[in-house]
Amino acid sequence: MMTLDPVLLEILNNKVTAVTEEMGHALQRTGRTLYVKETADFGTALSDLDGHFFAYPRAIGVSGFIDLDCGATIRAVEDIEQGDVLITNHPYISEGLATHAPDAHLLKPYFHDGELICFGWTFVHLSDMGGRVPSSISPTNSETYQEGFFIPPMKLLRRGEWNEDLLTLLRGNVRTPQENIGDLKAMLAALNVGERRVAGIIERHGIDAFKACRTDLIAYSAAKARDTLRQIPDGRYHFVDYMDDDLVSPYPVRLEVALTATDGEITLDFTGTDPQVEAAFNIPTLGKRHAWLTVRLIAFIMTMDPTTPMNSGMFSPITVKVPRGTILNPEPPAAVGVRHATAVRVNDLINGVLGQALPDVMPAASGGAMVPIVFAQDDHRTGETRVAVVQPMVGGTGARLGSDGVDGRDSSISNLANNPIETVEHSVEVRIRDYGVRPDSGGPGQWRGGVGVRLVFEVLAESGRVLGRGMERFRFRPWGTEGGRHGAPMQVILNEGTDRERELGRIDVLPVQAGDVLTVLMPGGGGYGDPLTRDVEAVLRDIEAGFVSIASAAAEYGVVLTPDGAVNHDATAGQRDALKTRREDNGAGADVGAARHAWESALPDNLVPDLNAALLNAPQAARQRRRRDFYAGVLPDLNGGEDAWNRSLDDPDSVRDRARSALQALLER
Amino acid sequence: MADTSSHRYRVGIDVGGTFTDFVLSEWPTGRLAYHKEPSVPADPSRAVTDGMRTLLARETCPPSAIDLIVHGTTLALNTTIQRRGAPVALVASRGNRDVLEIARCRMPNSYDFRAGKEEPLVPRAHVFELSARIAANGDVLETPGEEEIEELAGAIRTAGVEALAVMFVNAPSNPAFEQSIADQLAELLPKVAVSSSTTVWPEIREYERAVATTLNASINPLMSDYLNLLQRRLADDGIAAPIYITASNGGTLSLATAQQRPIETMLSGPAAGVAAATRVARDMSDNGAGQIDGVLSFDMGGTSSDIALSLGGEPSYTNRTHVGDFPLMMPVVGISAIGAGGGSIVWMDAQGVLKVGPQSAGADPGPVCYGRGGTEPTVTDCYVCLGVLDPDEFLGGAQKLDRDAAIAALTEVGARLGFDGDDAAARGAEAALSIASANMASEMLKALAQNGVDPGQLALMPFGGAGPTHAMLLAEEVGIATLIIPPAAGTFCALGALIADVKRDFVRSLRRAIGADDDAAVWDAFTQLETEALDWVASEGDILSRDRLQHGADMRYAGQGFDLAVDLPMQAVADRDTAALVELFHREHEKHYGFRDLDSTVEITTLRVRAIGEVPPIELPTIAGGSKQPKAAGSRPVWHQGSWSDVPIYRRDQLAAADVIDGPAIIEQSDTTVWILRGWTVSADSRGNLLARNAQQAAKTEPAA
Repeated sequence: MMTLDPVLLEILNNKVTAVTEEMGHALQRTGRTLYVKETADFGTALSDLDGHFFAYPRAIGVSGFIDLDCGATIRAVEDIEQGDVLITNHPYISEGLATHAPDAHLLKPYFHDGELICFGWTFVHLSDMGGRVPSSISPTNSETYQEGFFIPPMKLLRRGEWNEDLLTLLRGNVRTPQENIGDLKAMLAALNVGERRVAGIIERHGIDAFKACRTDLIAYSAAKARDTLRQIPDGRYHFVDYMDDDLVSPYPVRLEVALTATDGEITLDFTGTDPQVEAAFNIPTLGKRHAWLTVRLIAFIMTMDPTTPMNSGMFSPITVKVPRGTILNPEPPAAVGVRHATAVRVNDLINGVLGQALPDVMPAASGGAMVPIVFAQDDHRTGETRVAVVQPMVGGTGARLGSDGVDGRDSSISNLANNPIETVEHSVEVRIRDYGVRPDSGGPGQWRGGVGVRLVFEVLAESGRVLGRGMERFRFRPWGTEGGRHGAPMQVILNEGTDRERELGRIDVLPVQAGDVLTVLMPGGGGYGDPLTRDVEAVLRDIEAGFVSIASAAAEYGVVLTPDGAVNHDATAGQRDALKTRREDNGAGADVGAARHAWESALPDNLVPDLNAALLNAPQAARQRRRRDFYAGVLPDLNGGEDAWNRSLDDPDSVRDRARSALQALLER
Repeated sequence: MADTSSHRYRVGIDVGGTFTDFVLSEWPTGRLAYHKEPSVPADPSRAVTDGMRTLLARETCPPSAIDLIVHGTTLALNTTIQRRGAPVALVASRGNRDVLEIARCRMPNSYDFRAGKEEPLVPRAHVFELSARIAANGDVLETPGEEEIEELAGAIRTAGVEALAVMFVNAPSNPAFEQSIADQLAELLPKVAVSSSTTVWPEIREYERAVATTLNASINPLMSDYLNLLQRRLADDGIAAPIYITASNGGTLSLATAQQRPIETMLSGPAAGVAAATRVARDMSDNGAGQIDGVLSFDMGGTSSDIALSLGGEPSYTNRTHVGDFPLMMPVVGISAIGAGGGSIVWMDAQGVLKVGPQSAGADPGPVCYGRGGTEPTVTDCYVCLGVLDPDEFLGGAQKLDRDAAIAALTEVGARLGFDGDDAAARGAEAALSIASANMASEMLKALAQNGVDPGQLALMPFGGAGPTHAMLLAEEVGIATLIIPPAAGTFCALGALIADVKRDFVRSLRRAIGADDDAAVWDAFTQLETEALDWVASEGDILSRDRLQHGADMRYAGQGFDLAVDLPMQAVADRDTAALVELFHREHEKHYGFRDLDSTVEITTLRVRAIGEVPPIELPTIAGGSKQPKAAGSRPVWHQGSWSDVPIYRRDQLAAADVIDGPAIIEQSDTTVWILRGWTVSADSRGNLLARNAQQAAKTEPAA
């Protein structure tokens, strides 16, 4: 399997990994924009000749892109020569290497004595790639044609010379040409560092050793990952999760997976997942195993064995099946700009299905939403717009056996830093009145879910707009598991506590004016285990720290305090007994919340997959209309509101009957 | 014996985990004397005073002849990492109670879902909100009433803390407001040490400032007690010399400043080592060893190795670093950890792949050869097995090593790698060292990449117990052709303490456009900082000979999201020359990004002033001239590149200036062993430094003449 001796393998493993990290540092040091310098929304790696990464950084850049495939991009360009650099940001033609317009991916072929030996890879989230809105990303885009300027795989440099035609075209189609070209130059610097370092490794260890390490490192990682994945008992596991809606219609988006494990070989079958949506939430996987589908598996594998080499080999034991035309394998030109919002839920989905197999290992759902709250301020004097991220908002993480979730942080999709209040208030006219944790939002459990983050800010500028991409979990709660309760949902409230108070739900672009106060409450992680068995001292500590209120301690945990703040043990025992008798379940299963319960009672697991199969059989152009027609017929009164939701699903039997006949009609078309 | 009654002395001390190191400098002879005393972690001042007694007795130095003691201490660092600080409460603006809980919102490890986040320094129950809010421009938006302040004081009393940090949002724009509330609380809480964030570090970024303030407050009582005790014990022994403490910026601070600002001593010892490396390299350049543009100091100890860069005779600084779980927002010498130390454990994973570290056997039980119960082979065991370390001469013979035990442990490693026969252990050991070197080289290259520096142009300066032993393996791996090995590598940080100047950094956040119309505010702020800096340095003691200031500013193009730090030359500052500032920024930007943006306004965000009080320099000793062909003290078999060869052994203290040794060779000294590989030529200079060159490597990295 491996041809290198175990000493040289380890040495080269470290060296090629270090090459990719050095590339990252070079990129970050010379990058032009905040995306590169502060947010670190970039990546670097070394790819084998087939387009798979055999070396990837451990500690710099985006962590989740190990499973990207450069193959289609490499194959699309003919006559690759020394000094060339390939570029693409086209999700469909690159077959899912790029996944939205701003992500520019570059590949540089590295040669030794005239022979192509590997590729240096780097991507950067560029500031703007044109399209309908500044920064190129809007959830309400429905086609890639609205999302910007797409470059199919082609040469950015030919034998070391810039492709000036392409640059001219780029300059003519984007809002930030200087910044883009600055970042592209930093990417070239990174690729050149990689080229030099690879040459150095070959000089020291020989070309044969280098060639061998490309395959050996992938095999080594595969062997380790397989050992880890063998912990999943052989069998078939199933899980479903939802996004609240797709923003352009009120109907939930269903994600479904079946995991089959056979001696460490894993199959993920996403059949039953909803059709692609007419908003920018689609993930362009082209039906292949893909970074956005497997990111939770990286966490699983690296948590279980942190010595696993970070390369594509760790996914070798994993195969996927993703039906074409679904939100996880959309057909062009479905819009993809906000694909990470869906990826957050895919993360929950994979976490959940792994939890079916390994309930003692996997946590409950994390908050499940990551939302940069952006304020765009109109400057009435200059006519310009000042834009700043007020805060990147996250929920808490889910609890797991033996440990509470993490409060106010969640790195499961990205690990972005927030902004100092002092910097924000210097750059746009807002006042951050409250930026902290949100008490009582963590799902109760023997182990408590992490609480979400709370942000309250006042607009001081005369006027402006608030944007909040990726808002989710308003309706379907972050689920608790093994008897743990769900976390609190997301909430967005305008002018809370005044007579102008308005609960907004999900916002796309919210116009605001001076004096408006916006409150953003992020969901908490799900709990784990029966909350009535939680250590009373832990509940007391949570009360003292303010993570749990006295009322919630009594209602959810059955813990009653004395007037001077100590635990009243007798009252607690009584309260716990009373709660146990009163509850409807046995305190051991999953808790998905009432909204999802109502939805699934009306539209059960044995109906929606059939509907989706029928829709996928319909021509692409008709699918979304038929889906909308179906749900509009079955749930005519449903809109975004809470009341309408409850009313519409009040009588699940009749909804189900209507759904069955509507499905029958659809099948007979 | 010569009359020594008129001799004066200074002592540099560095407290490490295993040993407390001493260097004594004698005036006017320039003679240096060294001593190592086992550390007493539970009572560090005990090792200091015991060691002093031993050293003074040995050197017949009367306590009254000591003029200066400079002390490096890990107290601040250990207190932070081990969370042993005094209990602290934090008062924050209303709505900002979770400043420590949310921190910068990042998780320490984004892969490991079991890893969790760091424990905040102050539990949430001890973070209190107050109706005290300042706007970004410094206007006071909310002032707490007397009643609210009294109520708060009551709550803090109940919390039972020793110290209180006060940090309000936007306080750098109005430090007086924050201070006035802190004063009111201090009056109500006479038993609590109260400090306001802007007196600790008045830079914008509330989380980092809160951390600096709370850390400082929590270390403060321990540092005060320690230094008072130390001063008293030394005084009991008749030593009345002023005590200075080495600081993270490579300078030193008076005892009083270090007690008030212990946070500035976080990198106390290592920073002094970098200061010493910088000084040694500068002296060598001056003494005709050829221009040494850049020096990479390499401090390899028992558990880890640190590197730091000095360019053009100055250490490289960074304004942001991490200590334990916390960010540190103040200028410090840029030190990067690169992993393995002598105690790093050699092991094998389930796939049979050989690994070194990150686990370390530490000092206890330590390597197998220490014979203290260690069973897993370490890097040090590899040296012993290969014949590099003489088991009878470790630490000058003070500690006997068990070579057979090391060989037995490494034979097992060799066997699992498929080696058999007599040399299995040696082959295993060499494999492990090659992995350790590759790991360290990789980390080193990454650290250099962050600074945009190419290793080929640098000289590596190893010190610490294992630095000179491993340096050539590392240099060959990284592609460095020059090594400088200072004389007393094992007590180098203590020497650094002796040659450092008094230094403290001052900062002011100020966001405004410059070069447009009225820049008076910028220069007014600089004037204030200068006054503050000069007042401080004037009170740092009588020993200082001369004061000077260094200026810097962080600047950006308006609308840019990040700053560039620009050093400001004295003349431009003296002339209050705004145009020069702007031009310096354009130039720096051009250097980094290849262009200047003349259409954009230039903004200044942070002003920096460093106060330096020069300590009259000590003279470093010289050694006698030599024969060019020193005599070996003996020889022993050493394994390298797959075979044993008989390698000559030299004694460092018998080497003379201009002596030349060709590798392979071993040079033994009481605190370390220098392993010279084939292909390297070593020459001693008149200061006792060894300059090692690898001609083959040099030919690769230097352009043909």
